[in-house]
Parts: sequence; C-alpha cells; structure tokens
Amino acid sequence: MSSLRLLMKEIQNLKPIPAVVTQLLAAVDSPGSSMEDIANVIQYDPVITASLLKTCNCAYFGLKVPAESIKDAVNMLGIDQVTELALIKSGAQALSGRHQGYGLEQGDMWQYSVSSAMITKIVAAKLGLKNKSTLFTSALIKDIGKIVLEKHVADASEKITHLVKNKKHSFQEAEKKVLGIDHAELGAMIAKLWKFSPRMIKIIRHHHLADESRVSDKEIAAVYLGDCICMMMGSGVGADGLAYRFKDQAMKTLGVTATDILMMIAEFGMNMQKVDAFLHMA
Amino acid sequence: MKQIVGVADMKVSNKTEESIVTYSLGSCIGLVIYDPVVKVGGILHYMLPESSIDTEKAAARPYMFADSGIPRLFKTAYALGAVKQRMMIYVAGGAEILDQGGFFNIGKRNYMALKKLFFKNNVIIHKQDVGGNTNRTVRLEIATGEIYVKTSGAKEVKICHPFDCL
Repeated sequence: MSSLRLLMKEIQNLKPIPAVVTQLLAAVDSPGSSMEDIANVIQYDPVITASLLKTCNCAYFGLKVPAESIKDAVNMLGIDQVTELALIKSGAQALSGRHQGYGLEQGDMWQYSVSSAMITKIVAAKLGLKNKSTLFTSALIKDIGKIVLEKHVADASEKITHLVKNKKHSFQEAEKKVLGIDHAELGAMIAKLWKFSPRMIKIIRHHHLADESRVSDKEIAAVYLGDCICMMMGSGVGADGLAYRFKDQAMKTLGVTATDILMMIAEFGMNMQKVDAFLHMA
Repeated sequence: MKQIVGVADMKVSNKTEESIVTYSLGSCIGLVIYDPVVKVGGILHYMLPESSIDTEKAAARPYMFADSGIPRLFKTAYALGAVKQRMMIYVAGGAEILDQGGFFNIGKRNYMALKKLFFKNNVIIHKQDVGGNTNRTVRLEIATGEIYVKTSGAKEVKICHPFDCL
C-alpha cells in the first residue's frame, strides 16, 4: 500500500473531535441563534458540560456563586467565553497526547494549540474580523494533521532534518518532498472527513500560506499570523521549531505593522494565566 | 528542587539544592546569570524588547520586557550577595522564523535590546546560543553554575560551566 493510501486509511481510524464543535459553530454563526440555543447545543454533550462547569468554577474566573448549569455559566461569563471554553474542551482529547515524531512531549501540542487559538483571537479582534469562533477553532485544530503524520515524520526524520538544515527547506516543504503530503494538507483532509465547514477546511489547508495566492484571504492571513506569533513565543513548539516561512506580504494584506505584532505579543503575555486555566481543563 | 521560570517571569536562588529552568524559548530570550563565589544565580524569560510600547503592561508584568526585566534580575541577585564583576552571563533564545526580515524579527530585536543594555552597563556575555530556527529549554544548577540546554526532539546537553565561561 502506498504511503498516501496508508495515511488515508489512518485518518479514517482517528477518533473524531466531538460533534458538538460543528453544531456549536453552526449555532454561533447563525444570526438567528439565541444564547439559549447555543447553551442547549453545549449541554447536549454531558462530558463537555461537566468539564466546562469545572473550569468555569476554577479560581481564575472568580465566580462568587458556582455555575451549576451551562445557562448559569452563560449568564455569569457571557456567551463568547462559554463558547470558547466548549470549543477548547472539544479539542482537548484529540490534541493532548505525546507526538514524538515532532519532538512533542505530553501536552505540548495542546499547549501550542490553545496558545495559538488565544493569539488568533487577539489578531482577529485587532483586525475587527467577524467569524471569531471559526477562526478560534481553526487555529485550535490546524495542526491535527501532525497527529497522523508524526509516525511518518519520525521514520523519515533524517531526510526531513537534512532538507531543513542543509537545503533551506521549511519543515512543511520537507514533509511534502519526503512524504508526498504535508501536515496542513492532511489536516484539511481530516477536517473534511469530520465535516467541518469548507471555510475551516480552507483555513487549515493554508495555515502556513505555502500557496502565496491565499494571502488575500484575511481570515487565512489572520490564522497564519496567529501561528507565526505563537511559534515566536515558543510554548509547545516541537522539533520543527520555527522552520516555517514568514511572509511580509501577509502583514501588508492585513495592514499589520511590527509595532502591532509587539502589542499583540504583549496582550498575549497578559493572558498567560488564562491559557494556564484552559490547559488545566480536565 | 526545580524552580520553573514561566514566560515573562524571573527566578533567582542561592539554594544549592535547587535548579532553575525555563522552557520553550522561541524568539523570547532566556538570560542566565550566576555568581560562582556566592552561588547565586537566576534566569529571566522575557518576550519583548522595550516596555515603552505599553507602560501599563510593563508595570503589571515587568519581566515581559528586556529593559524592565533585566535590571530587576541583576538587582535581585545583588540582594543575595552576587557581585556584577563576578557574574557569569549566558544568553539563549532569540530564534526566528525563516525569511523573517529585520523589521519583523522579534528574536533579533529582543537580543539587540539586551546587547544595548549590556553595552551601556559594561556587562559581557560569556556564552550564548542565540538565533536559528529552534526553540530552547535552559536549566541552571545553583550548586555548580552548570548550564544545560535542550532543543525540542533532542537530548539536553551541558553547554557551560562557570569556570569554562569566565
């Protein structure tokens, strides 16, 4: 069996992210949805509801009276915060393991994913972009392809490392050259299999902006910038390190200056405690 | 015992049973200082070069910036008996994404902010592992002043002993 066909088989066996994510994103994106509709979608999933309430009641949020239901949590923390927590919780299981092919210890990928989503939220707010939840979730799960690709990356690590260190390839370019597919392409295939929206599939597919023609898409550029900032911050970064390409053009498209990036990093620095609270979600 | 320095954080110790570690330096800088005579050492993990971009945030999180964090690191070590002239200095981090030009190169800007401050105050870096595209974890042993660095996916290596450095 060719390695590509093997990969296709492997992604079919992957345990999907809970269905609540797609339902939640559909509800959030629908202009007709009320707060109650959104709360109803979340409480349909008992595991996520229990974990979300536990987090809402942790010291970080400082609630005076404990939230006992999703409706309580929405009333106390607001719908945006509760949606964010539900999305994070949904991704936790899929992304929280150890991924040695990328030199990621237990929890590293999860830390990177949550940090990246938080930074993308800052970028989206700065740029006044809509579809906040879609961008947040895309940033959260954009590296899902690494989960399946990691074994193959480990087997081919010598060749990939050689291309990155000696032949000026980005890690993604080296993956593509050696394995015939890179983690962004594979991530998009997984997202399609899990029935994510075409928009999210596209963002995941192009989150490293390997195809420069995508730079005019502000949502892709925003997730890309969030990823670049997250790489610079280093939390949960693996053996691929910062070996991806930085595109000045994306900054021009978004109208982002170097000072803007410094400010966004500072904003993220102020939110590190929140990232910690999210990371410790059971 | 292990003291962990978070992002935008600093730890200084004179307890010989302790080691100080900071994880995952990307473009951030990990500044390690150590006085081998009194066995006082510390690590600062800062994210950004200059606090002037947001003085309010700098007041709340002084260790986020080079210019507000570095003086605090030295002063905290002095308070435990460390002396500037004996101080061993090691710098790690400041990594960059491929093709990241000077203007957007936060790693380089972080490093330059430190160099500027050191130049003004006559401080010499004894060893460094700066730039490139890797992220680094740095550990300092208070008892010996030995410094270890680890990049993701690779084993930790000893890179510095105070007497090699000085």
